Amino acid sequence: MSKELIRLQDLVMEFDGERVLDGINLYFNDHEFLTLLGPSGCGKTTTLRIIGGFLNPTSGKVLFDGKCINEVPAYQRQINTVFQRYALFPHLNVYDNIAFGLKVAKLPKTEIQERVQEMLSIVGLKGYEHRRIDSLSGGQQQRVAIARALVNRPKVLLLDEPLAALDLRLRKDMQNELKRIQQAMGITFIYVTHDQEEALSMSDTVVVMDKGRIQQIGKPEDIYNEPKNAFVADFIGESNILDGIMLADYKVKFFGRTFQCLDAGFAPNEPVDVVIRPEDIDFVPVEQGHLTGTVTSVTFKGLNYDIIVDFKGFKWLIQTTDYQAEGTTVGIRLNPEDIHVMKKSEYSGMFGDYSSYSAEYDELVEDADDEEE
Amino acid sequence: MKKNKALLLSGPYILFMVIFTLIPLGVVGYFALTDPDTGAFTLNNLKNLALFLPTLGTSVGYAIVSALICLVLGYPVAYYIAHRKPLTQKILYMLTMLPMCMSFLLRTLAWVGILETNGIINTLLTGLGLPALELIGTPGAVILGMVYNYLPYMILPLYAIIVKIDRRLIEAAEDLGCNGVQVFSKVVLPLSTPGILSGLTMVFVPAVSTFYISQKLGGTETMLIGDVIERQFKYANNRNLGAALSLVLMLLVLVCTGIMNRFGGDEEGGVVV
Amino acid sequence: MKKTNRILTVLIFIFLYIPMAVLVVASFNTGKNLSVFESFTLNQYKELFKDKDLLALLGNSLLISILSTAISTAFGTFAAVGIHNLKPKMRKVVMSLTNIPMTNPDIVTGISLSLLFVFVGSNMLGQKESLNFGTLLIAHITFSLPYIILNVMPKLQQMNPALTDAAMDLGCTPVQSFFKVTLHEIMPGIVSGAIMAFTMSLDDFVISYFVTGSGFVTLPVEIYSYTKKPIHPKIYAMFTLLFVLIFVLMVTMNLLQIRGERKKEETYVKQEKPAMKIFRRVCAGVCALAVVLGCGWLIVNNQNKQVTLNVMNWGQNIADGSDGTTDIIKAFEEKYPHIKVNYSTYDSNETLYSKLKGGGLTVDLIIPSDYMIARMIAEDMLLPLDFSNIPNYKNVQADFKNTAYDPDNTYSVPYTWGTVGIIYNEKYVDGEDVTGWELLWNEKYAKKILMFDNSRDAFGIAQYKLGYDVNTMDEAELQACADELSRQRSVVRKYVMDQIYADMEGENAWIGAYYAGDCMMMMENNENLRFYLPENQGFNLFIDAMCIPSCAENKKEAELFIDFMCQPEISGANMDYICYGSPIEGARDYMDPELANNPVVYPDAEILKNGSSYAYLPEKTTRFVEDLFMKIRIE
Repeated sequence: MSKELIRLQDLVMEFDGERVLDGINLYFNDHEFLTLLGPSGCGKTTTLRIIGGFLNPTSGKVLFDGKCINEVPAYQRQINTVFQRYALFPHLNVYDNIAFGLKVAKLPKTEIQERVQEMLSIVGLKGYEHRRIDSLSGGQQQRVAIARALVNRPKVLLLDEPLAALDLRLRKDMQNELKRIQQAMGITFIYVTHDQEEALSMSDTVVVMDKGRIQQIGKPEDIYNEPKNAFVADFIGESNILDGIMLADYKVKFFGRTFQCLDAGFAPNEPVDVVIRPEDIDFVPVEQGHLTGTVTSVTFKGLNYDIIVDFKGFKWLIQTTDYQAEGTTVGIRLNPEDIHVMKKSEYSGMFGDYSSYSAEYDELVEDADDEEE
Repeated sequence: MKKNKALLLSGPYILFMVIFTLIPLGVVGYFALTDPDTGAFTLNNLKNLALFLPTLGTSVGYAIVSALICLVLGYPVAYYIAHRKPLTQKILYMLTMLPMCMSFLLRTLAWVGILETNGIINTLLTGLGLPALELIGTPGAVILGMVYNYLPYMILPLYAIIVKIDRRLIEAAEDLGCNGVQVFSKVVLPLSTPGILSGLTMVFVPAVSTFYISQKLGGTETMLIGDVIERQFKYANNRNLGAALSLVLMLLVLVCTGIMNRFGGDEEGGVVV
Repeated sequence: MKKTNRILTVLIFIFLYIPMAVLVVASFNTGKNLSVFESFTLNQYKELFKDKDLLALLGNSLLISILSTAISTAFGTFAAVGIHNLKPKMRKVVMSLTNIPMTNPDIVTGISLSLLFVFVGSNMLGQKESLNFGTLLIAHITFSLPYIILNVMPKLQQMNPALTDAAMDLGCTPVQSFFKVTLHEIMPGIVSGAIMAFTMSLDDFVISYFVTGSGFVTLPVEIYSYTKKPIHPKIYAMFTLLFVLIFVLMVTMNLLQIRGERKKEETYVKQEKPAMKIFRRVCAGVCALAVVLGCGWLIVNNQNKQVTLNVMNWGQNIADGSDGTTDIIKAFEEKYPHIKVNYSTYDSNETLYSKLKGGGLTVDLIIPSDYMIARMIAEDMLLPLDFSNIPNYKNVQADFKNTAYDPDNTYSVPYTWGTVGIIYNEKYVDGEDVTGWELLWNEKYAKKILMFDNSRDAFGIAQYKLGYDVNTMDEAELQACADELSRQRSVVRKYVMDQIYADMEGENAWIGAYYAGDCMMMMENNENLRFYLPENQGFNLFIDAMCIPSCAENKKEAELFIDFMCQPEISGANMDYICYGSPIEGARDYMDPELANNPVVYPDAEILKNGSSYAYLPEKTTRFVEDLFMKIRIE
């Protein structure tokens, strides 16, 4: 692709003896839209702050264009940041906020004016120059924050959960907007979020993090389709994760039954995690099914139904447009491409069981995440 | 880097405060434990303190009474101010602050003119054909002086806390069936406890240590601990006894404010006006 | 409920403002009495602006509070930023340190600082004047700092920490980001802290009172000594002007604040016109320059190259030019233009002694009484005089040389002499009751009697009454005196020194014991007052003499002052005001004949024979008496 711009080498960060980053190795290419994705406390914001120069890593190096910039303070890095909740200066108006960095750099007045105006038109805020910051809506503030960072023509723009404070619709609009701006400016965006949908829809590359470690790096499609472990599988979309045994290449056994699959390269009889995405499962008449189970709960979700089916005490989530009444016995078929086999990891057994599933519960957890960051 | 910056900026301040608040208290302790004539170590100053216990008791009594009077008078005023329109609040707040900025010596002296045997009140009374009152030189006059001088110290923190009480809490209490009195006693009063405690402290501390008010408005019976201390330094030349008395006064205030804070579970220690 | 609150609030505000109204009204009164409005005048304001000393004191106060506010605001703001970044545990420790001056009684703070300054300055560094401008400034900074910290800290905590990150992200160094962003955010806290610090500092009496030496005195401290004496109404005029000033300041600040808030509600921030910006900067510059120049001028003015002669005298004990008398100090300064007299007062020998013993100040000339001079000589507190600088010593009458307290005429030159007697108001006191010192015990006049608030004079009266020797060292006799004084306590209205003026002149009290000359001055102000000398029982005959204490820095100039006072015409003019007898030969001829022939001022030689003077008693007896007196006072 294009050339490498930033590289993180063995980054370790500790706060009061608590390890927040545990050996991060990562590189960022020029013109790339890269997303750090993970639950709160996974270390994604810390990584971003280290790149921005607001934190010094306990050990490890940050290389920029091949040079170590550990000792370069934030204000000398060619990197700008869009902060969580924007951090706009309340005592300055829109124009002065955007012009802040240029004024600090002591650029000529005419140039400042030109560049600010240019930025204002890029973010669609022409005519808002003299508005007070607190008279703007959240989306407008968001645009000012982006303009304020981009007007300095950084090589890299860091975005720390920039859309978290917006409502759903605005968030969707801004996602497109951000992608557009990134393509127009042709610079690297490093984007931090805990929203997997946001990550998948905007990024060139997604880095999934948890517990201070990188769990998986890849294109959005790869991350979704080929999760490396139970954590990724669960965090990106919904997954039913089962214990299985890889009998041989392309043959996996679970629920006492051997299935054809597309995975290979495991040791014979190696215990593995088997992922089956809820939307990949189709109902078939009971007699045609590989497995049969009883529907225990049905929730209407708009696009589809979330149906919980009990297979011999193990509950699966199935997303389908095919309504099944509670209590019905159903059969399912699993095609080889529906089955994804992963190596066992520390996350095995922690996810993918819908025995205690509740739609409300999930929403609550997501809200709590929002609060935390 | 951040840690160094924090220490670099706060270090001089910490040093300054240690040198000019902690060490001086140590010096007071040193004087309290030495003999005025020889400078040798002695416990005599502390032993002599027993003599001043009644005075100390009087001072504490006066201070507590004036603090309570200030609370009773100040609370309704603070409550009233806090429930005005913003502009009215500002004006009343300013009017409460203003006396604090004026010389308290002269303002107290004005009370002498008012309460004096041939003062303004008695001139008015006799002018109306009423008998004159013996007002000055009484404990009442001293307490009046204290209340007058320190009432703003009660009103301001009370106001600061009452104005912050969320109106919705009062509505919620009403919604849950409280009448006016219950709303006050079950919601407003408990929520304003920090303000009450800080107001009581802010009145009690200067009142218990005053010497000017009792000198001007008091008589022969109203010698307070502040007078005694001032006398040791400015008249009797017994700085060591004075130091011992100051130490006792300081401990007393510490204990009293400590009890109040414990009582209120107030972490902040006091509301800044 | 609401209505009662409203009425109560109105009443409370009336209560808060009545005393100030009384003072404001008094500033337009021709008379001195607060309770009698004689007629309207603006003279007090004229007097005020004529009084350079009073204005200088106001200047001193402003100087100290502006400097201490400026320093503590800058210092405190940076410190608050530092404290904010400390670890929580450490922060808690520092905050409790900050709270010490806030919760400690002012008197303890004042005492602890003064002890520290004297202890370190005088004992360890060997400074003569260890209580000076610098230490007073430090004291003010010490109690101002917490106000800044406690106001700025919450603002720092409320501030979004990402703002400084954002500033650094946009190219600011940490210092730039502080000035461009943090400062704006915490400005309201800094301003309110500074205002509180300034008003506290300007109005501080208690701490300054203990930390002030002799050289640099602030207005409240001096007002305290004014309030001990009959107060001149020009002080009320000053109070009124300050009241108006502060009122206007507060209203302006509130208006500015309201305007600021209105602005916040507007959607647009108007770009300031460049001309307006320049104008604002020029204004700010001019203000800053004015403050700096003002401070500079005051500092220069306070430390000008002239010799400053620190004279410490009894209250009401030098002619000050009022009521057509000579202004002695002005006359002296005119004769010796290089000398500036810094005049301050004390109200008893013991106060003076305490002041000198307390240390930390320089005084060049004092005027204690006989027994105190002997004590000071014994304790090595006085310097021998160089009589070659005092040629006019020849004018001193022989009776006042080779006295018991200074037998070799080494340390002192007499200033006045006088008696201690009873002053009473004949309107209320039955002439038949005026028989002797027992008048001060007469229950008929309970709570109308004023008694000395110093042990020596109080015990002296008891000793005359009981017929003991005034210089007795017999502890049983002294104890008997103490019992007598303790018995008197129930009829005493108040123990006073110079406060006796106000109470006797205002007829709040009817009987008092005081120094004859002062009694004369009171009698001039109230025609009902009479003086009585209990010649049969005996009375105190005292000499006040000029001495140079060992802490003096300008001995020669002090001797010039002594010499000046020994001129008959000067001494005579002085006595015209203070109403005492002059020890200078020929001075009586320069006095107002009415006064010179007044038996209160110059009693018959026959009567004087019954007088006796206090002698210096050993330390042990002095302390014994002091303790007894203390017990009587706090009983």
